[in-house]
Amino acid sequence: MGRFILRRFIYMVITFWMIVTVTFVLMHNLPGDPFANSEKLTTQQRALLEKQYGLDQPLSVQYKNYLINVLQGDLGVSFAYPTTKVTDVIKRSFPASAELGIESIVFSVVIGLLLGITAALKHNKSWDYTAMFIAIVGISIPSFVLGPILQYFIGVKWGILPAALWDGPANRVLPALTLSFMTIALTARMMRTSMLDVIHSDYIKTARSKGLSQTSVIIKHTLRNAILPVITVLGPIAVNVITGTLVVEQIFAVPGLGKYFVQAVYSNDYTLIMGLTIFYSLLLMIVIFLTDIAYGFIDPRIRLAKGRK
Amino acid sequence: MQNILEVKDLKVSFHTYAGEVQAVRGVSFDLKEGEVLAIVGESGCGKSVTSQTIMRLIPSPPSVIKGGSILFGENKVDLLKLSSKEMESIRGSEIGMVFQDPMTSLNPTMTIGKQITEGLVKHQGLSKEKAQKQALELLTMVGIPRPQTRIKQYPHEFSGGMRQRVMIAIALACRPKLLIADEPTTALDVTIQAQILDLLKDLQEQTGSSIIMITHNLGVVAEIAQRVAVMYAGKIVEQGTVDDIFYRSQHPYTKGLLHSVLRLDDEEKGELVPIEGMPPDLLAPPEGCAFAARCPHALNICLKEDPQPQIVQGEHQAACWLLDERAQKTAVR
Repeated sequence: MGRFILRRFIYMVITFWMIVTVTFVLMHNLPGDPFANSEKLTTQQRALLEKQYGLDQPLSVQYKNYLINVLQGDLGVSFAYPTTKVTDVIKRSFPASAELGIESIVFSVVIGLLLGITAALKHNKSWDYTAMFIAIVGISIPSFVLGPILQYFIGVKWGILPAALWDGPANRVLPALTLSFMTIALTARMMRTSMLDVIHSDYIKTARSKGLSQTSVIIKHTLRNAILPVITVLGPIAVNVITGTLVVEQIFAVPGLGKYFVQAVYSNDYTLIMGLTIFYSLLLMIVIFLTDIAYGFIDPRIRLAKGRK
Repeated sequence: MQNILEVKDLKVSFHTYAGEVQAVRGVSFDLKEGEVLAIVGESGCGKSVTSQTIMRLIPSPPSVIKGGSILFGENKVDLLKLSSKEMESIRGSEIGMVFQDPMTSLNPTMTIGKQITEGLVKHQGLSKEKAQKQALELLTMVGIPRPQTRIKQYPHEFSGGMRQRVMIAIALACRPKLLIADEPTTALDVTIQAQILDLLKDLQEQTGSSIIMITHNLGVVAEIAQRVAVMYAGKIVEQGTVDDIFYRSQHPYTKGLLHSVLRLDDEEKGELVPIEGMPPDLLAPPEGCAFAARCPHALNICLKEDPQPQIVQGEHQAACWLLDERAQKTAVR
């Protein structure tokens, strides 16, 4: 297991370096200019600005400097918000996104798994159809429709929960719910398919031939095997949700990270684009790394096959 | 010897979109204590459905037990009438089962030890340590070397033959009176097949349990069984002792099966004789004898009316119109 983890870690470092490089190259090939109202700048002003941000140096030097800075945890100063460091943007906005994301993930995993398991156990009965109906609705209704609907009815018309802003625990419910819907649907569908696969497998027949009760067949033999594919997709989804989504955060006025992803690209804010990409990919890699380890714990075939070599 | 199992007129169907498939159409047989009965037949003849119905492991829906009874044990309880809780207490403790494919029949995420002890803990209420000890004995009994290490391993660390040994250990864990082996050697290569058969034979002699051996391999039958039931299209067409079936077979299907087997002691080095044609569609089974369409000796009556089993001699029975005294005159044999 130790070697397995070490190898995974080395892969992670290599992947990270590749992501930084590719983003750097792509970004410098973007059409446009990082400076606002650039057409009004005189050549002199422009040269000054470029010098200040180090853009006058050849790309290779910029790349080298950037790599060194990143390794020291310095993501640079934003172009669009000249007084703020990229790390500060992340520090300021990420907590709200992360909190919302984690709440919604916990919520959707619990509900999604329950729905999926029920659907599989009551295969082709009304429970199954109900659960899958919910899942299809969840997948097909986009959050920009669901969000305003929830806001209008629960927030405004009935006044049960606050419709927007980020003040107290009550403010979390609606955005978290909106954010969860899609994931609930995905998790439920995956879990159902996976459960049905496992239930019809030979080893479940073996388990039943031992005279185990239905409950212990499901808990001891089915769930563990059925949850593996769900874990695989859940990791990346979690990262996606945790780093904030533009739509939900905008609708509910959550001061999260989501909007910066879009704004940074609009304004050619080199450092912010780079910083956010690096942050996002780092999170993604860590989560995939953790997923792999979790996978190894659940499935002995993976653990041992990798550890042996 | 007492009968440990009496299957009477068992009928099982499957509901499919195309209609009702009559997989088992009135199967009756007895099994004595300590006896090995082989059920032989080609794919789709209903032999696996019969065995899984005895265990009540057949998924329902889509399957429906249309009729008959399965009397088990000294008290002749009808297994088909038991509640699912009552059936759980019989499965694994009184009847054990070995499945066809050892590669997929063990839970990949659970250690071998856990999979063996589960039944012991459930049925005999053993503590974990005692169950563990017994599992070690079982592994030794089925011929797995280094049981101390092996017990902590997962199925993927075992070869096919070793996994089948583990399956046998699981099935025999609670010393069941009846072991159902559903093609236990089909998925294994030939040398391993022989080992597994020897093991089953040895264990049968040691424990004295009865075995129902489902197979399509006549070599396996000759090796292990005392009695044979030949199934065709959801019915038993002939049953009797191994000698009855191998040397004095009456039913044309049994004869066809025997002819299609390679024999080392054959004088002429001729080709194998296949049985021409295909088994009937069980969605709409024929009115008369199911084998009539393929039978070289079919009479008019064979197409119209289904033959009932007739006693040839002693326990030897066959369901064929040729055995009817009215047909004897035609003397085709």
